[in-house]
Amino acid sequence: MFRSLSRQLATKASINTPSKLQDVVIIGGGPAGLSLLAALKSSNKTKHLKCTLVEGASLDPIRNFGVNPPPEYTNRVVSLTPKTIEYMRDKIGNWNFINQERVNFYDTIVAYDSQDNEARIKFDASTIGDSVLAAMCENLNIQSSLLERIEELNLNTMDPEQKSILYDNTKVVEITGPEVAAEHELPYIDPKEGEPDLDWPTVTLSNGESLQARLLVGADGFNSSVRKFSHIASRGWFYNRFGVVATVKLQYEDYRSLAWQRFLTTGPLAILPLTDNNATIVWSSTPELSELLVSVDDAIFPHLVNAAMALEETDLSYIYSLLKKNPSDMNAVEEIKWRMSRVDSSLVDEGYPLPLESVVPRSRARFPLKMAHADTYTAPRVALIGDAAHSIHPLAGQGLNMGQSDVASLVSALEDGVTRGLDIGSTLVLEQYTANAWPSNHVMLGICDKMHKIFSTDWPPIVFFRGFGIKSLNMLGSFKDVIVRALSGR
Amino acid sequence: MLFSGRHNKRVIHSIRCSRSFRGFSTTRRAAHLANSSNSSDEELHHFSSLASSWWDVNGPQRILHKMNLLRMDFIYSNVRKHLVLNSPGISEEEGVYIPPYNPDLLPLEIRNQILEEQEAKRDEILLENKLNVLDVGCGGGILSESLARLNFIENVKGIDLSPDVLKAAELHKTKDPLLNSSKKLTYELMGIESVPKSDEYDIITMFEMLEHVNYPAQILDEALSRVKVGGWVFLSTINRDFISWFTTILMGEHVLRIVPVGTHSLDKYINSTEIIDWLNNNKDRSSRFSVLDVKGCVYLPAYGWKFTDCSNVGNYMMAIRRDI
Repeated sequence: MFRSLSRQLATKASINTPSKLQDVVIIGGGPAGLSLLAALKSSNKTKHLKCTLVEGASLDPIRNFGVNPPPEYTNRVVSLTPKTIEYMRDKIGNWNFINQERVNFYDTIVAYDSQDNEARIKFDASTIGDSVLAAMCENLNIQSSLLERIEELNLNTMDPEQKSILYDNTKVVEITGPEVAAEHELPYIDPKEGEPDLDWPTVTLSNGESLQARLLVGADGFNSSVRKFSHIASRGWFYNRFGVVATVKLQYEDYRSLAWQRFLTTGPLAILPLTDNNATIVWSSTPELSELLVSVDDAIFPHLVNAAMALEETDLSYIYSLLKKNPSDMNAVEEIKWRMSRVDSSLVDEGYPLPLESVVPRSRARFPLKMAHADTYTAPRVALIGDAAHSIHPLAGQGLNMGQSDVASLVSALEDGVTRGLDIGSTLVLEQYTANAWPSNHVMLGICDKMHKIFSTDWPPIVFFRGFGIKSLNMLGSFKDVIVRALSGR
Repeated sequence: MLFSGRHNKRVIHSIRCSRSFRGFSTTRRAAHLANSSNSSDEELHHFSSLASSWWDVNGPQRILHKMNLLRMDFIYSNVRKHLVLNSPGISEEEGVYIPPYNPDLLPLEIRNQILEEQEAKRDEILLENKLNVLDVGCGGGILSESLARLNFIENVKGIDLSPDVLKAAELHKTKDPLLNSSKKLTYELMGIESVPKSDEYDIITMFEMLEHVNYPAQILDEALSRVKVGGWVFLSTINRDFISWFTTILMGEHVLRIVPVGTHSLDKYINSTEIIDWLNNNKDRSSRFSVLDVKGCVYLPAYGWKFTDCSNVGNYMMAIRRDI
């Protein structure tokens, strides 16, 4: 009923006011969408394209972050690889606008297995002659720097037609167009005379405007409306796991730049260093446990994280059961302290992360974990980037970086298309993007998926083999370098 | 049938046959110029029947769409490479530095800086340059449209002898508001011999067309006589050899069916050396024109077209420039 009504409205609107023609319409103002807009406008070859970005939510929190950053770290923090940072610095040009006081570089990750404390592996960027493995940075910080960059580019553009247009608080009501299907399913329709309609998709917006796009880019996340419009199938599964994020304070500042990850059978728990004694945690766990993790008292949560980084899983399940009965049971803290006092003291200083002191109030949040990959990233006049194209388990911190490499591939495909005088919505231009971006993303998705599966069991044979694998891997320097290179995007 | 001995003999005969020089032989010819329409009726009919699917990038002409990418690279890189960076008489201070030796000998940073400066200057010159183009044998306008979208090209005129493909070209032009609104791109039903001699062009393109006409030498001559000083003729065709027969006719048409059967006929293919000899062995031509670039190209299934260094095997592209 509502759909048919909105469709009627949409057709009426399109009859009354002709659609505005745009070269590129980007749906979604997340890091991927904003990066694409800024990158297109920064390139000499593509900056003449008329671009509009549409975001459903308000961009004010992002703008405010630039003017008046909040005192505490926000909880959506991502890991940026050196390759991503290089692209932001040299090609997009937003790295100058990043609030550098809120970025923390680190050079080493220590990962270990909850079933076997000896099974440890250390990835150190210095072994490949790099000083940085990754940088932790808030999502808002990245988005705010991109917005500032886009505004700077707009100021430097003389031609008003070429200034990029940003609509926030604007929803996509409907996308219409010729039946766009994945290439191989597309029936070719011979253009007929006296048929003035363009084969460009039309986006009807909640502000009453409608845009017709030479190229429509979906940067609109997991439930991408652009992907649905283009009938591109996305395959994958939910892990029946949730990620819990929180901003925490360590007992004192860690001068080593170390990130930690412990593989529990419920999912990996990572402590990632921010500046001073701040850190952010990502704790993947079962649906029940994740509910517990967001509901326990602020006073108990830091102890729970400390316990989960060091204690045996049997101890942990006992503590979880106490807290399940009463999420503010301070006895649980006593239990944890007593058990922690029995942990091998030789490991405490070097083998485990610094203990947490507190958690920033209201910084905990949970979200479902899933793996998804679109069959292709392109259809005629359509391209998908970022989470619209793929969702990945956060255990290797690659999600945002994959989105950035999508942007880099798409921009270079469009640059080639412009130099060759092609219509940038043509599959001849776009298929180069899928060809470059899809395979490497697929490998990364597959590896993270297998990592999750291998570590989510306590079945002894697998525990034995993965322990053996980790220990051997840790001794094979050259093979480890390959992984370090992959992690840092080299 | 295809592999029968008789057929093979015919192929070999075609490759050797002097009949197929069709005007590029320097000792013969010039007698066949009577018929000015030049393109055979069979060829015309063949291409007219393809008109409706010309712009389906996944259809029978996909390989041509893919080849267009390489053509554009070939044209763009040649025009760009041979721009005159420092106009004569400009002082050393004002001009761009062009080292009198290979810049790769310099430290990387300095080399990059010098090259970047040159590239920026090239962009600048290209933007000022407004070139006009004649696309001979434009077909459905694949190349014409691409050229018309470039910002350093002022206008493109596409000509062809088949009214049906020109109709397809006109129709497709209306599908892009950028081309439709500007007057940059026009099509006309005519052969190159009907283009007034007073119309001179910066770029004349004849891609995949010389092997479809009866007297290519005459057509090429017509093109050369309409090029501005410093202007270009870009052409592409196919060497008359076994490899070409194998790739373009046997595999392309009959086995893999990438292009429609009957697109090519071997005895109309022209060797790259024949064109070069034809240019050089005539004093008038060799004093005014030089071949600046010849590149072979090969189609790799699942990849697309790729340039090769063997310009005398299979398909090739050639850039001829009228000397300044």
